[in-house]
Amino acid sequence: MTAELLDDIFLATAAIFVLLAIAMLYRAVAGPTTQDRVLAVNVLGTNTVVILALLAAGLGQPWFLDIALIYALLNFLMAVAISKFTVERGGVL
Amino acid sequence: MADKRVIVPLSESITVRQTVGYAARAAAGTDEDAELHLVVAVPYETTSPEGSGDIERAQALLDRAAAWVREDADPETLTVETAVIGADEYLFGPRDYVRAFETYAADHDIGRVVLDPEYQPGATAPMLQPLERELATTDLEFEEAPVERPARHERLVGPGSRSRLVTMFLISYGFYLVLGDPFYPFDLITGAAVAGIVAITLSHVTFTTAPTLVGSPLRTIRFALYIPYLLVEIIRANVAIALVILRPSMPIDPSVCRVNARVRSGLPLLALANSITLTPGTLTVRANDQQLIVHALVPDAREDLFDGSLERAVRFVFYGRDGAAIPTPRERGDTEIIGGDEL
Amino acid sequence: MIETLRFWAIVVLLVGGILFTFVSAVGVIRLPDVYSRAHTASQTDTLGAGLALAAVALALGWQGATIHTVLLLFFVFITNPTAAHAIARAAAETGVKPWTADTDEEVGEK
Repeated sequence: MTAELLDDIFLATAAIFVLLAIAMLYRAVAGPTTQDRVLAVNVLGTNTVVILALLAAGLGQPWFLDIALIYALLNFLMAVAISKFTVERGGVL
Repeated sequence: MADKRVIVPLSESITVRQTVGYAARAAAGTDEDAELHLVVAVPYETTSPEGSGDIERAQALLDRAAAWVREDADPETLTVETAVIGADEYLFGPRDYVRAFETYAADHDIGRVVLDPEYQPGATAPMLQPLERELATTDLEFEEAPVERPARHERLVGPGSRSRLVTMFLISYGFYLVLGDPFYPFDLITGAAVAGIVAITLSHVTFTTAPTLVGSPLRTIRFALYIPYLLVEIIRANVAIALVILRPSMPIDPSVCRVNARVRSGLPLLALANSITLTPGTLTVRANDQQLIVHALVPDAREDLFDGSLERAVRFVFYGRDGAAIPTPRERGDTEIIGGDEL
Repeated sequence: MIETLRFWAIVVLLVGGILFTFVSAVGVIRLPDVYSRAHTASQTDTLGAGLALAAVALALGWQGATIHTVLLLFFVFITNPTAAHAIARAAAETGVKPWTADTDEEVGEK
């Protein structure tokens, strides 16, 4: 009983996170600077990682966590790489 | 007058001999009564435990350098002075070193600096570029001694290489096995192969200082103690920031400030900058050498930063209990609120 | 008994996670410039993600997948502030001026 309820709670939480992610999408679209967009996409990426982890718990599919792990690392690389390329002379980080 | 007198900062580097020789020949060649000031800057206070042997080593280097000058130039025409500077204070970053040189130069009416391209006083990170940047802000003229240096990669193959290699191998092997299955032979073998490749190709870029058998685990344990403290700080500050953001009027007052942190470049500075960023309300925008440019969202967060509790905690992790007992940035006068223009 | 306790611990962690992620979303939308947005993006969001991941780890219990969750938590805590720092620094280098209370009247954004 509680196990099923818990699964439902995880799925509901994932749904709320999706809604919050859609709200954050506003900043990625609106900008106004490149850095604003990168920042918004970075936050979205973190949210995606959390959603994947919540789904892994809610659906009982632990291998989702592997995807989440890779996604977290790619998300970090994305933010650093774009930050570096938006500065002409490089040298960020 | 002033440019007849030259200051040469020395350190134990592979090009120090050539630098002294160049400075001596240049000084002796130009003028009759040139003066050559050889100085060694010691990073720690001589009273602190880390600094106890520094003075003897510095004096030995100066004696050797003075002998080199006598070999290369006529002792009749060239006056040589030697000095150990910085013995009564902590020198942390390039700025501190340049300030020490500047003080010495002002005291002795010196106008020029000859720099050793491999100059490295105590610190492990390359010093030349930040030093030149700092020197450019002073009145001192400076030049880099033209030296022939052996290829750079040779310096990485030192006694520390094996410990780097082993540490890197263990970390990557451990990570591989955590993701895979530690009891499955296929994973054990492929993991060893992958970790070996990673260790051989990347070990020399991963650590700025070679890990040691005692020091590194000790720092890891102290770091583990630091995490709960950091978590409490994060949650406390997060609630405060959440209240500010959720209030309809949103009473934020952003400001940019500069803090000179007393931790060395590299991993300690990274840990401090990341901790500052993780604590809500403060965001590290830049970390140059020891100077952190921090954006603070509300005045309270800025005051917390100036109280320096995070800096003390990071010093505890990397330098032990004794290193943690330093005055706060506010008491040291290392803080400054700057406008946005200086970003 | 233990099960009930664990259940409520998970619920509390999830509610905390949702709350802080909500604050982060509000901050990213409401705050005036890229630097202040980076505050909520890096910190509040990190805590929100951390609490949610902790709930997942607690729900999965003692098994291999939990180690992945803990690793994930660790990565999020290390990489998020670093990424925020990189973005803020890139903004500083491209010359974005920070918003202050004085610039409130002007049109602060380019």
